[in-house]
Amino acid sequence: MNFSSFRRSISLLALCAVAVVMTGCATASKPEAMIPTASVAGTKHAQTASVVVAGGSETSALGKSQISNQAFQQAIVASIEKNKTFSSVVKGANGEYRLAVTVVSMDQPSFGFSFTVKMEAAWSLKKADGSVVMQESIKSEGTAGATEAFAGVERLRLANEAAARANIAAGLAKIGALNF
Amino acid sequence: MLARLFAAAAVVLALGATTGCAVNRASATLMADADLSKVKTVYVVHAPEDGRAIDKELKKALEKRGFTATTGPELNPPYPQDAVVTYVDKWMWDITMYMIELTVTVRDRSNFPLATGNSLHTSLTRKSPAEMVDEVVGNIVAAKH
Repeated sequence: MNFSSFRRSISLLALCAVAVVMTGCATASKPEAMIPTASVAGTKHAQTASVVVAGGSETSALGKSQISNQAFQQAIVASIEKNKTFSSVVKGANGEYRLAVTVVSMDQPSFGFSFTVKMEAAWSLKKADGSVVMQESIKSEGTAGATEAFAGVERLRLANEAAARANIAAGLAKIGALNF
Repeated sequence: MLARLFAAAAVVLALGATTGCAVNRASATLMADADLSKVKTVYVVHAPEDGRAIDKELKKALEKRGFTATTGPELNPPYPQDAVVTYVDKWMWDITMYMIELTVTVRDRSNFPLATGNSLHTSLTRKSPAEMVDEVVGNIVAAKH
């Protein structure tokens, strides 16, 4: 091997390293990207509510993009405020209603061009006295196409966010269909 | 030499573009107000796409922990048992096929989730299906609010 081909080889190896670094780091799903874009139809309840979220996962840089409890809660609160599903969202247990949402499962692909994430979340709405108003297991899907992002980890994040948007939209629609 | 390097670069780029990385993890979550201590009888719903009898492994793991477990196809709720178990098993090939991820959900009679557990082990730390099932069921049973 002469010096010129040696330099080309080194350049290619560097390119490979850059590709690995650029495509290999997962980022967490973003709250603002999980808010349904269209407004959700339904009753705008005059009462207040608190929101608690469980079952989410933190994202490891070397793992898959996940939805954290904090991010999902922020997205749900912002969606409630945007749609006026309740008059306001209060912190702690001071609301007239308590909405508990638990991420039950995130079915994420490991390989592919178009990524589809299947999500299930348990939505439970109770009055302050503990009586159950609604219990629904809501399943949703989100897909990120091959052209939406080059890196697989990015497409997975986009698919997560799409699944979460659909889940929140369905959950708020169920609450909006209630009369109380 | 150069051709081989091009091929290697192409493979790395293709992998970066088509895969999400994976790590080993095991977790379980109990829904708010769920109380698994009241559960004595369990119905394991055989997943239609499961050709490896994972429902039977779940039955064994549940019986090992004192539950009375039966398996069968999905039925219309409410179920007569105290709880229903559903699962999703994902498999990967690396020299041989292995279970990379298992998600198990315990539900009430009406199918509303009570608890869920998930384990993911990549090839180098792979576990047998029985070990994966045992790990997930163990974590669910031990889960606290």
